[in-house]
Amino acid sequence: MFVRSKWIVVCLIVLMMILSIGIVMNAAKKITVRVWYPDESGIKAKYMDQAAEVFKKDFPNVNLEITRFRVPPGDFKTKLLLALASGEGPDVIHFSGGSNIAEFADAGYIVPLDKYVNAWPDWSQYPNAVKSGVTYEGHVYAIPYGLDMRWLYYNKNIFKAVGLPVPWQPKTWNDIINAAIVIKERAPDKIPYVLYAGVAGSGGTLSQGFLPLFYGAGGKLYDSKTGKWIVDSPAYRKTLEYYRQAFLEYKLVPQEVMTLPKPWTTMRKKLFTGELGILYEGGWVYGGAMSMYGPEKTEKAVGYILMPSEDGKFFFTIGGSGTVWYVSAQSKHPELAWEYVKRFNCKDIVAKLNLEAPHPVARMDSANIPEFRAMKYMVDCTNSLKYARFLPIKPELNQVAYRIQLLTSRVASGEMTVEKAMKKYISEIKADLGAENVEVIQ
Amino acid sequence: MPLTLIKGSDIVKRSYYLILGFLPAAVLIALFFITPAIWGVYSSLTNMALVGKAARHLQFIGFQNYFRLFRDDAFFTSIINSVKYVIGSAIIGQFLLGFVLALLLEYTESKGVKGGNVVYGVVMLAWLTPALVSGFEWGAMYDFYYGTLNNILKIFGLSKINWLGKVPMLSVIIANIWQGTAFSMMIFDSALKTIPPELYEAAKMDGASHWQSIRYITLPLIKNIAVIDLISVTMATFGAFLMIMTITSGGPGMKTTTMSLYAYRSAFENFRIGYGCSISMVLLVINLIFGFTYLKVLKKIS
Repeated sequence: MFVRSKWIVVCLIVLMMILSIGIVMNAAKKITVRVWYPDESGIKAKYMDQAAEVFKKDFPNVNLEITRFRVPPGDFKTKLLLALASGEGPDVIHFSGGSNIAEFADAGYIVPLDKYVNAWPDWSQYPNAVKSGVTYEGHVYAIPYGLDMRWLYYNKNIFKAVGLPVPWQPKTWNDIINAAIVIKERAPDKIPYVLYAGVAGSGGTLSQGFLPLFYGAGGKLYDSKTGKWIVDSPAYRKTLEYYRQAFLEYKLVPQEVMTLPKPWTTMRKKLFTGELGILYEGGWVYGGAMSMYGPEKTEKAVGYILMPSEDGKFFFTIGGSGTVWYVSAQSKHPELAWEYVKRFNCKDIVAKLNLEAPHPVARMDSANIPEFRAMKYMVDCTNSLKYARFLPIKPELNQVAYRIQLLTSRVASGEMTVEKAMKKYISEIKADLGAENVEVIQ
Repeated sequence: MPLTLIKGSDIVKRSYYLILGFLPAAVLIALFFITPAIWGVYSSLTNMALVGKAARHLQFIGFQNYFRLFRDDAFFTSIINSVKYVIGSAIIGQFLLGFVLALLLEYTESKGVKGGNVVYGVVMLAWLTPALVSGFEWGAMYDFYYGTLNNILKIFGLSKINWLGKVPMLSVIIANIWQGTAFSMMIFDSALKTIPPELYEAAKMDGASHWQSIRYITLPLIKNIAVIDLISVTMATFGAFLMIMTITSGGPGMKTTTMSLYAYRSAFENFRIGYGCSISMVLLVINLIFGFTYLKVLKKIS
């Protein structure tokens, strides 16, 4: 009796093993497409799923694996690059564009999407400025969904309390400094102005601190004609002089901006709670506040405007390609990876995601849906892109950004004069990029 | 039984077991310490990077990383910062404070004063807290707007202090002393327990003062252990990373960027692995020099 049941058990185990091997073999035969994306807030998950549903319907035999990383973008980048370097990366990468496009393309991590976008009718919905924001050395490498832009924000309540005009539109740099001086004199318990500087400001030091001034002084970081980085020009001096005035001469910006671990979290909060007068920040900050405090309260508290140039000749914003989609060069099925990217970047998902996490939309037909047009803020930030100036898409940009962080803090903390800090900056950049890759404009 | 009295065959047998016993540890050390070190030396001689053209074309570039390193101002700043950090937090802070604490604990215990264990426990708690958590705690202490320290100052009607702006190095040093003193205290405490009390009693009979007993009995008897402690806290502090990273991220500017932070920044923020490895190699050499110097000094004073 026992012997027989033993045999039955053995037979069952063998059968199960054969079956499971069969299942494993079958699963191995099934193609897998892996998608990685960083998302701390969790807003994107449902849109990822929507695209996945459509994808699975069209490709029922393909196994789609979507992984969300709840880490800040910097940590995700480290994780992603280590995975790519060891050949373990995903097929589809969702990550910020800008200088990463150049770095990734040079490293051979991503493939040009030219042949895919040429066969994609929707590509005509993307304006040329947007397309050029994802083009590197003549090839399209990424698909954006929502763009980045930035505003000069001011707190309306503080402005009213100190007798400054609301709505406010400074015409020149001096107007901004003067408004901050008024706040400092009449509301000494408020922080008049915040301008990011130093390493603590992270990426914000370049795109929310330095560049809004530098571009407004007619500066250029990269000379596309000569293919060289411009390391000294009158615009550099003017920008740093502005930093010196704001931080040291009039003491409008608190030194703590350079020492708080994440100054932006503190300063964004202070802007909306009425403790900070003027702040240059990303458009997404207003969007975040709308979902936190409600659109009405946000509009009552804070105004947003374009940045004036030094002399008031033009107004502009700093634009960026935002978070984009890449197809990995390591993917065995790039055409399937593209199919997922395509399904995510349809008119509907692009519109709805950007409504939920307010950003200007990358494709114009998404701006035409009624919900989008009903929101004044969405219309304003999409319109601002007409005045956008972009960062150069170059692999060296991150190195330059780091040196600019040091440059601004040396001047803003009073550690060095503008002249000395520039000298040091030029020698550092030359060491980083090679003296033959930089030039000076008188 | 002394080894010389064992028969030849026994020695073979014994060493066979010895080797067998060592093997797992040796394999693990080779795998996780020696291999990465060799890999580090190799990488420091290449242009290894995770982004840009270098990521695609790995090249052997000889000592170019090192040549660049010695022309890099930021690197020298990071060495000076590391030395400040080690002297401040490891040698003056953890080592001396640990010793004084252990001495006080021993002294109060010998006098029959209670509560020593509570102090011991509290100091140990700081050590048991993971460095990452302590880092965030200290970040919250020092925060200019909402920090605990500035709120305490406010209660006394004093104005706020920009801790991480005005005294960044001192701030991270204090945090690290708080975190690490327990280790030295523990080592010294057990070293002090090995000294027979009769020695002190005898000294007392001979009319020695407290200072004289410390100078002529305690110090000579624990100096070997003291040097071991000094080596381990120095090395641990040289390589320490988390505390500074979480409190200041090396800022403001470069003011708290130590060598390990600079290596990390080069390797994992700028993604130049080769350059980052060359920084670690210099860090390794400096550590070795410290270690050898301590041992030399120990030999001399023995």
